[in-house]
Amino acid sequence: MLAARCAAGYNSLVSSVAPSIRVKVLFFGRLKEIAGGTEEFVEVTFGSRIEDLFASFVARRPELARYRASLVASRNQEFAAWSTPLDSGDEIAFLPPVSGG
Amino acid sequence: MATSPSGDLILLVHESIDADALVRHVRTGADGAIVTFDGCVRNQSHGRRTLYLDYEAYESMALAKMGEIAAEVHIKFPIDHIAIAHRLGRLEIGETSVFIAVSAPHRAAAFDACRHAIDTLKRSVPIWKKEYFEDGAVWADGELPPVPQDTQARKRAS
Repeated sequence: MLAARCAAGYNSLVSSVAPSIRVKVLFFGRLKEIAGGTEEFVEVTFGSRIEDLFASFVARRPELARYRASLVASRNQEFAAWSTPLDSGDEIAFLPPVSGG
Repeated sequence: MATSPSGDLILLVHESIDADALVRHVRTGADGAIVTFDGCVRNQSHGRRTLYLDYEAYESMALAKMGEIAAEVHIKFPIDHIAIAHRLGRLEIGETSVFIAVSAPHRAAAFDACRHAIDTLKRSVPIWKKEYFEDGAVWADGELPPVPQDTQARKRAS
């Protein structure tokens, strides 16, 4: 039993080729309603960019795709380009056009 | 709530904005002018009768961006103090959603700074409003904030 558990542990280690990082993702406005929540923690492959993170949400909720051209992203409360690489612990938000005031 | 070293006041509130308190906050003996902007809920949007509005914000980022606006108007205009408050949650017709007060020794700077502050806020602070009508609700059309196009290029250049 113990040996089997060890073997499973070893296999899971060698199979995880690409290290992953954990980021917090926030959605606001109409995106929140489409994404089905305000806040989520997700694991992404090391080296992923904001663009890749959004694509992973589009894969789960295809209706998000049509908002890609009319939203901006932020990383740690600063507006950020889609090409921005992600770091572990980042807070990424997808923001529809702002309408305060 | 945040009071900066320059004596500015930056607020997000969930109840009525105390406009008088903001004006008192910016008023000093060195000022010859206080200009205020009172943004309030209009009773219609594109001809449809509005029932009420619901505002939400990315609060930590909104406060940071409002603070940046305050810092920027000090650089651009010879003003004394600025106070910026935005309300969140459900607002009825006629209620104040945003209030800005700017004090300055002379009126021109106070007018210009107040105008610049509200224009920048509407373009760059992550706040959204949902408009409720008799036959449904929509997220208001907004503006896309300017975004740095390639942070990698900037990092390489610095």
